[in-house]
Amino acid sequence: MSLNAEPARPSGGDYTLDPALARKLAEIVGGTHVLSRQSQLLVYNSDGLPGYRRQPSLAVFPGTRDEVIDVVRALHEAGAPFVPRGAGTGLSGGALADGIVLLGLNRLKRILDIDVENRTATVEPGVVNLSLNRAVGPKGLLYAPDPSSEAACTIGGNVAENAGGPHCLKYGVTLNHILAVKAVLPDGSIVQLGDEVSDRAGYDLVGAFVGSEGCFGVALEITVRLLKKPEVIRTMLADFLTVDGGARATSAIIASGIVPAALEFLDGPTTRVVESSIYAAGYPTDAEAILLVELDGLLDGIDEDVDRVRRICMDAGARTVRVARDDAERLKLWQGRKKAFGAMGRLAPHLVVQDAVVPRTKIPEILAAIHGISQKHGVLVCNIFHAGDGNLHPNIPYNADDVEQSERVHQAMREIMGVCIAAGGTITGEHGVGLDKIGYMEKIFTPNSLAAMCRLREVFDPERRSNPGKVVPLHSCREWYATPAGRGR
Amino acid sequence: MVRDTGGTRPVTATVTLDDIGSRVAAAAAGGRALRIAGRGTWLDAGGPVEAGETLSLASYSGIVDYVPGDLTITVRAGTPLTEIASATREHGQWLPLDPPGSPDGTIGATVATGSYGPLATAFGRPRDQVLGLESVSGTGEVITVGSRVVKNVAGFDLTRLLVGSWGTLGVITQLTLRLRARNDVERSAGIVVPERGRKLAAVLAAARAARIAPLALELLDPSVAHRLGLPAETVLLARFGGNSESVTAQLAELAALGQSFAAPDDCWDRLRALDADATATLRFSTPLADLPILWDALADGATGGQELLRHATVMRGIVRCLVQAPAGSARSLDDVLTGIARPLESARLIPERLGNAWSRIAGASIDDPISRRVKLAFDPANVLNPGILGESP
Ligand SMILES: Cc1cc2nc3c(=O)[nH]c(=O)nc-3n(C[C@H](O)[C@H](O)[C@@H](O)COP(=O)(O)OP(=O)(O)OC[C@H]3O[C@@H](n4cnc5c(N)ncnc54)[C@H](O)[C@@H]3O)c2cc1C
Ligand SMILES: Cc1cc2nc3c(=O)[nH]c(=O)nc-3n(C[C@H](O)[C@H](O)[C@H](O)COP(=O)(O)OP(=O)(O)OC[C@H]3O[C@@H](n4cnc5c(N)ncnc54)[C@H](O)[C@@H]3O)c2cc1C
Repeated sequence: MSLNAEPARPSGGDYTLDPALARKLAEIVGGTHVLSRQSQLLVYNSDGLPGYRRQPSLAVFPGTRDEVIDVVRALHEAGAPFVPRGAGTGLSGGALADGIVLLGLNRLKRILDIDVENRTATVEPGVVNLSLNRAVGPKGLLYAPDPSSEAACTIGGNVAENAGGPHCLKYGVTLNHILAVKAVLPDGSIVQLGDEVSDRAGYDLVGAFVGSEGCFGVALEITVRLLKKPEVIRTMLADFLTVDGGARATSAIIASGIVPAALEFLDGPTTRVVESSIYAAGYPTDAEAILLVELDGLLDGIDEDVDRVRRICMDAGARTVRVARDDAERLKLWQGRKKAFGAMGRLAPHLVVQDAVVPRTKIPEILAAIHGISQKHGVLVCNIFHAGDGNLHPNIPYNADDVEQSERVHQAMREIMGVCIAAGGTITGEHGVGLDKIGYMEKIFTPNSLAAMCRLREVFDPERRSNPGKVVPLHSCREWYATPAGRGR
Repeated sequence: MVRDTGGTRPVTATVTLDDIGSRVAAAAAGGRALRIAGRGTWLDAGGPVEAGETLSLASYSGIVDYVPGDLTITVRAGTPLTEIASATREHGQWLPLDPPGSPDGTIGATVATGSYGPLATAFGRPRDQVLGLESVSGTGEVITVGSRVVKNVAGFDLTRLLVGSWGTLGVITQLTLRLRARNDVERSAGIVVPERGRKLAAVLAAARAARIAPLALELLDPSVAHRLGLPAETVLLARFGGNSESVTAQLAELAALGQSFAAPDDCWDRLRALDADATATLRFSTPLADLPILWDALADGATGGQELLRHATVMRGIVRCLVQAPAGSARSLDDVLTGIARPLESARLIPERLGNAWSRIAGASIDDPISRRVKLAFDPANVLNPGILGESP
């Protein structure tokens, strides 16, 4: 079910699967790694976002990079469209294949190289974000991007989505940490984008590939930049009786020159949901805003910054500011934040998660508007977000089987997005456009800009066989319509 | 078509976005190449451009939107860096971008050339600081990508593609940049380090592992250090920011690595102005651990009387090398460049000021099939800065 004005198009178009293709793919990867029965494919008919169900007609899971290349070449020969998929934790319906081939990359889990001296690591696309950190951590290094789904999502998926996470406030998003991508393009050719050095002549093709949501081809090998692990971490919890107080404190901390490693905001409804779940973190349930502020870096001087943040919060009206005493307490404070989505599962069977970014100074008025919208439609909105970045995540727990309720939820979400766009914001800060937000693209980009995006896509995938129908609305691609394939639609 | 290397040429001031769009569209329709210019402080950069006309963005300037609370600023491309600096300074903020050259240079040119300086250590390159931009493609169409918020993944990333594209994919007309709040305390200091070899490598490795988080950490050869008013030795120059306790501790940590001295605040400006009279500038990017090898190789390659100035951004693996060929020198610039351009397999040469020698020395940098298709997709008639990246026509 689409949440947008524009219904999602079937992505597979008129494609019908040739049974010979399944046999060919089985020859490459082995029969057990090709799924074609409807019952087997059911598992892959959704990703982290409920409300959309799209069933692939075939799923193939290569086990090595060479197998991926052979699979892509076989798909090319058969003219078959396909959708790359990592862990399927995406929250915009990006990894869904509608009647076409699903290309699963989660078996490619090898960390190929960790170069301590040069602070880089090269990995296969299916490596789970957290396992990379488990591997480099003991060497004193850190892969900074940490989506809340880090325990499951893959580096390939992170690259495709340009994933963020709580610590991106200080360290930057995935893009800022990718040096090179080796990819197989939909025509089966291999391209090396970037290399192990931090700067090079020519176009920033790595920059173009990161965030391309599987529409440019399949990432096969990724070289990331690692950072030195911070010497100390201080995590604090400030609680406020008003949403405004939390927002004011956020602005004041940022303006102070201190760059927190993370600055997360949980509103009253979210806090209460978390506290009534097994993830209870000891958050005060009568607060209307909670800030989770983390400072990290060198030991010397950190306590001075902690004091300063404390004072800023108190001046903005905080009731208390608590600093975690040890790692256990710190992890507990974070658990509430990282598991909040899970906790919301207690309230209703389904959850709509949105992902808009607004100018930081507009946060108070936008939260007020969201509150008004929730009252008007009788829905519960839980706001939990990366406040330092202005990256909002309004969540609405609901029952997707209840048609009338779903309609109210969708209407509320559309209005919330409208408010964010009107404030000069954007429709996604980290989850991607996928299927879910394609209807909003024309609200924030001009036809020229969308057509330019199409042209960039065609550089990599002129036949539009990799993740077709996602990100940019098809009718925006003027050149596309001029091709025979386009006229066929 | 005349070969334009920065001498006299017709320049038309552009005042509105429509002007720029129609100038480019007309050029594309007539098959006439355009040379794009900001304030023209560094027009001879990159390779030679074959163009009969110059499209100047110098008068297309000014701050469009600045909300200090959001730490973002939107400016027209012709805005000089100095103007951005003074507007943001009032609010205790800055755009931490310190490209070499004149501070009067425009932000559009800085981003188009992907220029950056020592502050990239802590703040990254223009790639990491540009949030969104507006540009005019080679067909005259206005394309707006990114936005004015600090995080945005909506659509394919044309922003990154335009940054550092040297005007070959579009005329950058407007940009939104991320600002930073300034630190309470800022101090610079240097230590004297071994000139070369294993000893130098050991100090650099120790500095990378040290308990410091410098805003900049730059290795200077003795001539550069001397020109900056520092001891005429090989020097590791650091810039620290933060609260006073943190800065004091970092200064002590640096001092533990070698004989230290305080550096005047203006040494960074002097470093930026260093190459005003260089004949050529080469920039190399290497894996971090290879930097000392490259450092030595460049010194060894410099024979034949020309003076060579080297400085390196240690945490990024970047070495810049300024060549000052003495007047009347028997060796041509080409020979000089050939001597030092390939000292290390893993290093990448990045185009700076090489003039006509560029294409022969560095080879074409956008001649791979994907880059060619990118160029064709955005400038099909090849009217924007043709030849500047040493690409074949
Ligand atoms: C003495 C000196 C030395 C320099 N040395 C270096 C150096 O070593 N490394 C380095 O990276 N930078 C260097 N620079 C460049 C400088 O840091 C920046 O690139 C910038 O400040 C130049 O500004 P400008 O407006 O004068 O650019 P201009 O000289 O007008 O243009 C520089 C380049 O940018 C292109 N350009 C200008 N505006 C636009 C636009 N709006 N859209 C698309 N393309 C555009 C031009 O076609 C030209 O190729 C140097 C500058 C000077 C003056
Ligand atoms: C509880 C929860 C919390 C989350 N928190 C965050 C967060 O804090 N920040 C954030 O940014 N996201 C977050 N997400 C969203 C999601 O986890 C990220 O977008 C993640 O990067 C997706 O990775 P994945 O491996 O699951 O990719 P998938 O969902 O499998 O795929 C996502 C997209 O990537 C493409 N893709 C996957 N692998 C490749 C490849 N190798 N080559 C080319 N394309 C590929 C797919 O085609 C698809 O378009 C969260 C999700 C959940 C469920």
